[in-house]
Amino acid sequence: MTTTSATPEIVPPVPRRNRGQGSGLRRSIGRVVGYALLIAAALAVLVPFLWMVSSSLKRDNEVFTIPVQWIPHSFQWHNFVDIWSQVPMGTYLKNTVFLSSVITFLQVLTGSFAAYGFAKTRFRGRDTLFFAYIATIALPWQAYMIPQYIMMQKAGLTDTYTSLILLQAFGAFGVFLMRQYYMTIPDELCEAARVDGLSEYGIWARIILPLSKPALASLALLTFVNTWNDYMGPFIYLTSNDHWTIQLGLQSFIGQYDSEYAMMMTGSVLSVLPILVIFLLGQRYFIEGIATSGMKG
Amino acid sequence: MNRRKFLTMAAAAAAAAPLAACGSSKSSGATGAKADDNAPVELSISVWSLASTPEFQALFDAFHQANPNITIKPVDILSNDYETKLTTMLAAGDTTDVITVKNVIDYAGYAGRGQLKDLTSAATSADAAQLSGLASFKEKDGKYYALPYRQDFWVLYYNKKLFDAAGKQYPTNLTWDQYADLAKSLTSGSGQGKVYGTYHHTWRSVVQAISAAQTGGDLLGGDYGFFADQYAMALGVQNAGATIDFGTATTQKTGYASVFEDKQAAMLPMGTWFIAKLLADKKAGKTDVDWAIAPMPQRPGGSGITTFGSPTAFAVNKKARHSEAAEKFVKFAAGPEGAKAIAAIGVVPALLTDQTRQTYFGLAGMPADDTSKKAFKPDKVTLEMPVSDKTSKIDKILTEEHQLVMTKQKSIDAGIKEMGSRVKDETS
Amino acid sequence: MADLTTAQAAGASPPGDGMSAATAARVGRRALADPAATRRRVRARRRRDTLIGWSFILPNFLGFVAITLIPVVAAFALAFTNWDSYNTPDWVGLKNFRRLLHDESTKIALRNTVYYAVGHVPLTLLASLSLAILLNRKIRGAAFFRAAAFFPYITSMVAVALVWNMLFNPASGPVNQFLQWFGVAHGPGWTTSTDWAMPAVIITSAWRDMGYYMILFLAGLQSIPKEQYEAAEMDGATAWQRFRTVTLPGLRPTTFLVLVLLTVQSFKIFDLIVVMTQGGPGRATTVLSQRIYQTGIVDGEFGYASAISVLLFLLVLVLTLTQFWLNKRRERS
Repeated sequence: MTTTSATPEIVPPVPRRNRGQGSGLRRSIGRVVGYALLIAAALAVLVPFLWMVSSSLKRDNEVFTIPVQWIPHSFQWHNFVDIWSQVPMGTYLKNTVFLSSVITFLQVLTGSFAAYGFAKTRFRGRDTLFFAYIATIALPWQAYMIPQYIMMQKAGLTDTYTSLILLQAFGAFGVFLMRQYYMTIPDELCEAARVDGLSEYGIWARIILPLSKPALASLALLTFVNTWNDYMGPFIYLTSNDHWTIQLGLQSFIGQYDSEYAMMMTGSVLSVLPILVIFLLGQRYFIEGIATSGMKG
Repeated sequence: MNRRKFLTMAAAAAAAAPLAACGSSKSSGATGAKADDNAPVELSISVWSLASTPEFQALFDAFHQANPNITIKPVDILSNDYETKLTTMLAAGDTTDVITVKNVIDYAGYAGRGQLKDLTSAATSADAAQLSGLASFKEKDGKYYALPYRQDFWVLYYNKKLFDAAGKQYPTNLTWDQYADLAKSLTSGSGQGKVYGTYHHTWRSVVQAISAAQTGGDLLGGDYGFFADQYAMALGVQNAGATIDFGTATTQKTGYASVFEDKQAAMLPMGTWFIAKLLADKKAGKTDVDWAIAPMPQRPGGSGITTFGSPTAFAVNKKARHSEAAEKFVKFAAGPEGAKAIAAIGVVPALLTDQTRQTYFGLAGMPADDTSKKAFKPDKVTLEMPVSDKTSKIDKILTEEHQLVMTKQKSIDAGIKEMGSRVKDETS
Repeated sequence: MADLTTAQAAGASPPGDGMSAATAARVGRRALADPAATRRRVRARRRRDTLIGWSFILPNFLGFVAITLIPVVAAFALAFTNWDSYNTPDWVGLKNFRRLLHDESTKIALRNTVYYAVGHVPLTLLASLSLAILLNRKIRGAAFFRAAAFFPYITSMVAVALVWNMLFNPASGPVNQFLQWFGVAHGPGWTTSTDWAMPAVIITSAWRDMGYYMILFLAGLQSIPKEQYEAAEMDGATAWQRFRTVTLPGLRPTTFLVLVLLTVQSFKIFDLIVVMTQGGPGRATTVLSQRIYQTGIVDGEFGYASAISVLLFLLVLVLTLTQFWLNKRRERS
């Protein structure tokens, strides 16, 4: 099920064979210009990150100066070493990895499972239920934060990871994303499988899941990133310091009257790196499509 | 269909949940702590940013030394959203023994909801008579629900070297006009090397609280004409380029500490909490600014030094597990030993007697001149913001309009008028 | 589809109503023999399908009901009470909603929120779709460019707010200097002005979110069979025509997803505003989530905060319902 690639070059249009030499040159110039624009845009987009890196190498007083100094006066490389001892960064990292991984796994699992129910099975009220599901995303957490916390407190789950996992592993977002993707998979595939005697669960596991790798990859990535960067959830539910996540650790540099912004930026830079790695490793999964019309298989 | 019935039941259960949560108040108010005074107790105390707020540890260590059977377990909550988490925890019936009250707005909330233990007997005792800022914690019913351990008030910091370089005399007893002129004359340079005469931080108190303190105006009253002079002065200084303009300072999160320590401003009206940071930073070699303090500028024709301040306090959770021990801690912190412990690290205690003042000025790096000492003995310290059930709403309204006036989206008169009408409309 | 017609002719219920096409066909054939047994079988089939469908949904749904639905319903119930988060709530009926009608700050917040959504949704949709199409190719360094597009979303919010505030600085920021080249002498005040603060926030948040939705579009693009593109190319379609006739229709489920998510998240916006403008200057960028937070946590009036939440919810509900309905219509045609 691999793609036959006839992917066009970055510069349109598809050149016709008998255009002659002029088009070759035009194509190359066009390509160079296109690349230059892309690189410029990419750099522009990275400016805030560059500011973060620059700040992480400054002293605290130099971070928010008027006007901004892009190049630090004296590079404080030791910030990247100190941060591990100044706060238990290693513990925070471990906690965050654990939390993000578990929540991502559960979200992807229950989300794709439930999405099959909403996309490929039929029962009365299915679409209304789905709509109600999505409707609940509409409420901001400020609205139900306290009743939810009271509930968790009664269940004795405050200051545990279980509370956060429960809060975020059953989101409507995953269901929504996967359901939309499943709807692009032709019903005939499922029909054929049913005729062959496969159960619905078998269809989900053996046919639908493999076909939805791009959606699974994007759901996993987005859930991972959101959990990794989540501040409010861990802030409200995790009290003991050894349960804290990276985001809480970063905020701990902000005191009431005194803030260590340079350290906070050092931590932020470090925090972005794992996500970047995961993105670069996993991004081919939501690019390498396996889309066929499905009728061949 | 079952689903409809289920949802109805869920709705009923959900509606009942908060009722159930509140109704079942664990009556752990008076625990068995009375039984044995020397039984080991673990006292939980809510604090913010424990690592960067050394006063907490200093108090805990001093208290533990005086009461070896009581160990303290701090509940560390991030400073920025301290109030959010504490409100949430208390809503669910949290049993943390001692609640640190960050500011009077928070206090109005906790006390108003009946979440704090009555400390009136401690507050009206002879020991507490000299506590500055105590009046802020008196509720409508005449009772006290917290005791201040720390009281910061506002003074004028200045950079001696910058004054010398400009050939100006150090400030001693300025009026606001003199202050404004001084600020303009101390401004020099441009771009990267610009030195501002002064720096007005973006908090509304920088203009509004000092104005209320020195004119006797009522911040909760709904009539803010008394702000006019102060705003005129502040905008004058800003328009002349003698301070960083409000818009830039807000959007680029200018830190007053950086500005002053990096010698970008010759003067800085700020609270006394900054002293601890200056002492620590100078000791650590992070800055070498040659600083001293002077009293806040006064209105012409005013007598004595009037400034404003805000206390920080400890309170006892009504649902505390160790109520007696908690009250003991609160009294300790507000008492002479607590004052001594925090004065030793450069924090201004609420119990500011001559003795604590002496300890304070004995710290290494404190300016020793008479003006600084005089600044530390203001004649009158009024509350930055009075306590009432309308305080948080009025605070928000005043902040919003302050931004509009300082970014010149509204004229001073229009802004003041809007403040008054909004406060009257929205807090009726 | 011929099987379906037979089934329908036999009086069996049409598909999409508890049965799949093949089973309908089978049922249809048997229906010609014994109507009563057929009805029994149809009902049993429908029950089975319902059970199967629910068995898929149940794990996620149970979690959702326990963790989210109950607090949400509680929040709605609280809108009819006065609650300070601690003591017993007092029932006050519609008083909070009547108060909403006169609350200037909430009306301003509502207006700002709608303003933000109207700006943010199309801008981000366009940007993320363009990025996805642009970067859905095997060009050299594509991975780097895709990562770059995603960077704004993973960069610290403090950094994003600060850098954009700097760019928007009326006096020294590059944006206004850029505008000067085009003859605009005094550029707008951006985040220091009440008129231009919201556009500044919209631009910043579109820039921040475009990478996020680009990922969704990239995944969606993979579901479009390559044969359709090849067929269109052979028919002589230009790139634009291929986009219109193959890409856009193929992306419809994803576009729907992005549109709904964007709408919902635009109405809930909170963090970026707090970090970038704190809702200011004045109330120029105060949004509904902030009003909920202010009245609830800060002022301690949770009943009223819940009433504002109900307002927000109903607004988003109407919009989402409209989008669902429009999408269903387009699906059928």
